[in-house]
Amino acid sequence: MWYRARVERDLRRWREAGFITDAGLDGIRNELGQRKSGFGAAQAFAMLGAVLFGFAIMSFVAANWEGMSKLMRLVILFVTLWGCYAAAAALFARKHEIFGQAAIVGGIAVYGASIMLIAQMYHMDGNPPDAVLMWALGALLTAFLTRSGAALASALVLGVVWSVYERSITDAAHLGFLAFWLAAFGVAMDQKWRPGLHLVAISLIIWLVPLGFFILGGHGHWVPLAIGLAAAAAASFGAKALDNVGPISPALFVYAVGIAFAELFVLQFIDERVMPTLSQPGGIMALVMLAIVSLALLLAAMAWGVQHDNTGAVWLAYAGFALEIFSLYVKTFGSLLNTSLFFLVAALIVTGLAWFAYRLHNRNLPAVS
Amino acid sequence: MKMPRITLALGLVIAAVLQTAVLAWMVIDRTRLLKTGQEVVLPILPVDPRDLFRGQYVRLGYDISNVPIALLEGPRPTPTGVLYVTIAQQSDGTWKPVRLSGSKPQTVGDKQVVLKGRPAFRFPRENATAVFVRYGIERFFVPEGEGPRLEDMARDKKLSVLLAVDGSGTAAIKGIIIDGKLQYSERLL
Repeated sequence: MWYRARVERDLRRWREAGFITDAGLDGIRNELGQRKSGFGAAQAFAMLGAVLFGFAIMSFVAANWEGMSKLMRLVILFVTLWGCYAAAAALFARKHEIFGQAAIVGGIAVYGASIMLIAQMYHMDGNPPDAVLMWALGALLTAFLTRSGAALASALVLGVVWSVYERSITDAAHLGFLAFWLAAFGVAMDQKWRPGLHLVAISLIIWLVPLGFFILGGHGHWVPLAIGLAAAAAASFGAKALDNVGPISPALFVYAVGIAFAELFVLQFIDERVMPTLSQPGGIMALVMLAIVSLALLLAAMAWGVQHDNTGAVWLAYAGFALEIFSLYVKTFGSLLNTSLFFLVAALIVTGLAWFAYRLHNRNLPAVS
Repeated sequence: MKMPRITLALGLVIAAVLQTAVLAWMVIDRTRLLKTGQEVVLPILPVDPRDLFRGQYVRLGYDISNVPIALLEGPRPTPTGVLYVTIAQQSDGTWKPVRLSGSKPQTVGDKQVVLKGRPAFRFPRENATAVFVRYGIERFFVPEGEGPRLEDMARDKKLSVLLAVDGSGTAAIKGIIIDGKLQYSERLL
């Protein structure tokens, strides 16, 4: 919506300046009018409605099956499951795309609830993450078979829940997630649905960012840090090659910088056993070095973002910068510098940054004088 | 996301069939285990003897949950990997763990049963004396309407579970025994 309003404003200006013809103006407006908006409120509510329907049915069944035989309960579960998918088929046939997707999500919810209810019926008390995996695989299968983006999104959420659950029990890296992730990546590529690819990337990030806590004795943050930096380098220096496949390098760059910064943040402020503490010899030096690397990374990301019109990178850098400065302040409060000196240093850094950005901006507009 | 209508309908049917198959397999596998598994009776340790059957489910504890690490045969299992506990029936009818291993024992003696489990927490480090094993039979979902009846009978009585154990070592709760009498028996369907 914002995009359309903005373009409309620009269009009027461009028309007045004579950059575009009336025919061109109409053509652009037509094209914009036909564009479907990405993910609207109707879709979101339909999905939520479907999930709530699913769970309403299940809790009604679970609360009322006193006196029902197991066979009867199973029949109810299966009928509900098939009902959801039949409804989806009917809705798609009538071109109600949004409600069709919602019905698929409802079917996936019923499938998961059935797993839990059957486990309860027979007192199954195995490894709980296995049940979530079973659910996630069912959702992924539906996503593959129906090319439903909503099913893919459900599968990714469930896959992440599975991995977090498994890690909380085993306290291990959980490499098995990567197999699931590769399958989900394949499904997303097959669907050619851009938001799906973003979700796939985000699910990997959720797995990758805390990875350091589960490898190399719980302090292996260097590994995801190296992965993030390598991916950022690939996205910036190999942008041309990557974008032959599709316009993926801008998003990859933002995600990669996000991962790298998250790991630097963990090293500086969260997993404090990796680096010497401030009171130990070399502690201040280690923190300063890491802070310089972090700020340099964010600065580079900002420069890259400005140069390549990558708004995501610029915003990430702004947010990261604010977070970094604030965390440094909290951590060093009373130990490294006094407050006023701290703000002086921060102000110098920010002003330097502004100067840098100004120079960069001017370089980008050489023709205007 | 564009897909011909027939392909989409077919995809939905296949998804429904496969999901139904998974759920049906859960049920069939369980009924097979309950029907054909070897029966073992284990006394329940009173975890919380009051209001045992009042809640939605009951936590069940067993003597065999605590397995001495001295019984370990073969290599040390991974911290969270599968464990096999061989239990042997004593002359008084009770069962005791006699062997602990990370892989399934090839030979099983007379009056011995192998149970598959996982460490409840992580497999302990060198100096621990015992590992707490979960066999997947530690939770009994109280069937609707059965709670008060079982509760009344269970008061101050000796409780046991009737288990079914299959060849792979998987165990399932088949019934609840109160004072030596089978008072609740799991229906297959």
